Amino acid sequence: MTLEGWVPQIGEHLTLEEVVEFAFDYRGNTTIVKTDGAEVVGYVFNRNRTVAAPFIQFFDEEGRGPFTLGYSEIATIKFTGRDTAAGNSWKAWLERKEREKAGDAAAQGMSPRAGDADPDGG
Amino acid sequence: MSVPLSQMFTVASYVLRQKIRGNKRYPLVLMLEPLFRCNLACAGCGKIQYPAQILRKHLSVERCVEAVEECGAPMVSIPGGEPLMYPDIGRLAAELVKRRKYVYLCTNAILLKEKLDQFTPSKYLSFSIHMDGVREDHDEAVCRDGVFDQAVDAIKAAVARGFRVTTNTTLFDGASPLRMRRFFDEMMALGVEGMMLSPGYSYAKAPDQEHFLRRARTHQLFVEMLSNPKRHWKFNQSPLFLRFLMGKHDYECTPWGNPTFNVFGWQRPCYLLQEGYASTFRELMETTDWQAYGRRSGNEKCRDCMVHCGHEPTAVDHTFGSLRAFGETVAVTLTGRL
Repeated sequence: MTLEGWVPQIGEHLTLEEVVEFAFDYRGNTTIVKTDGAEVVGYVFNRNRTVAAPFIQFFDEEGRGPFTLGYSEIATIKFTGRDTAAGNSWKAWLERKEREKAGDAAAQGMSPRAGDADPDGG
Repeated sequence: MSVPLSQMFTVASYVLRQKIRGNKRYPLVLMLEPLFRCNLACAGCGKIQYPAQILRKHLSVERCVEAVEECGAPMVSIPGGEPLMYPDIGRLAAELVKRRKYVYLCTNAILLKEKLDQFTPSKYLSFSIHMDGVREDHDEAVCRDGVFDQAVDAIKAAVARGFRVTTNTTLFDGASPLRMRRFFDEMMALGVEGMMLSPGYSYAKAPDQEHFLRRARTHQLFVEMLSNPKRHWKFNQSPLFLRFLMGKHDYECTPWGNPTFNVFGWQRPCYLLQEGYASTFRELMETTDWQAYGRRSGNEKCRDCMVHCGHEPTAVDHTFGSLRAFGETVAVTLTGRL
């Protein structure tokens, strides 16, 4: 399951704190929407909600940072970037290996075995 | 066991100093990740799933050295990512060796042969080659054919040039004790100084979630693998940790034992879990809620973890915590019987 593409609506059933936790756990870029309406794209790598003024830390899309932003300055966070943990490279590799093995077996099955008589005689 | 005497002495005197000072929480090995970028995408790895701008980042040598000095641990492990993709890896290793840190450079060895000229053999520097078993098992674990053979070539080249070379092996469910015993023979025949073993950890972000070992299965696997060890097998790690993996000791995790520093800062609480970052080592040690981690804490994420980075420091601390444990370590070291 991935949160990629999710645009959370902060409200009665979803708090900003919860959205920040999801963003912190997300392995892709997000779009941070500030309370003044400005947006910034970046990777949220840290948050601290146990301090007097909770904050997030992020690197922007160009890798600049880290930038710190208080929870009080955030309206919401959109999950706009690709979720890099949603891949299935291992499964793809296993499937390819299985196809190769099946291909080898089929090729061996079709070839005449050493010592087999030539079906055309001779 | 194969840890050189000078390294044993350094670690022993460091741990005893901590005990004399009454310091209950101290770092033993700094896990220094100068970058996350890697030239492999292994099934069990949760370290490399980041957007491109994060994978392009790396720490400066100066920042790495600062972190090493701030932490004070006598040993530094450089994993990643693939550390041989770090542009200043030769200079970084040299700076740490100059500071008499025992450095384990953890690499998949794909680039090792071509980069060997950047390094000088030293008792302080070991190449710790990632090898997850015999050829077919290793290539499957790293999701690429041919990597085992490349690593074997690199090991031979590094050994021939006088470098310390060890292997590090992560074991997953389905590992065959018989094949692993064959693997130990193969590695020792290559001339490696010693081998390191650990069960894998179920990274939430790793692509393969099906094959991580549970605790009882871990005991069974390590008993089958390490009972009646051959005389020529050498392990470059605490014998008590290996006995813990075999179910002969019950250790709690000491997550502060192998603190992790990377491009995000000091990682809480350990090398495997990412629950936030501190900006200084002191902040990490003083503000992390350590009681929330380890099996006894009831934390679900720690329930089945028996990984070296949390439990080997416990084993080392135990070694120097009682005469009995010290005697046990000496006996295993001398006899090779686990």
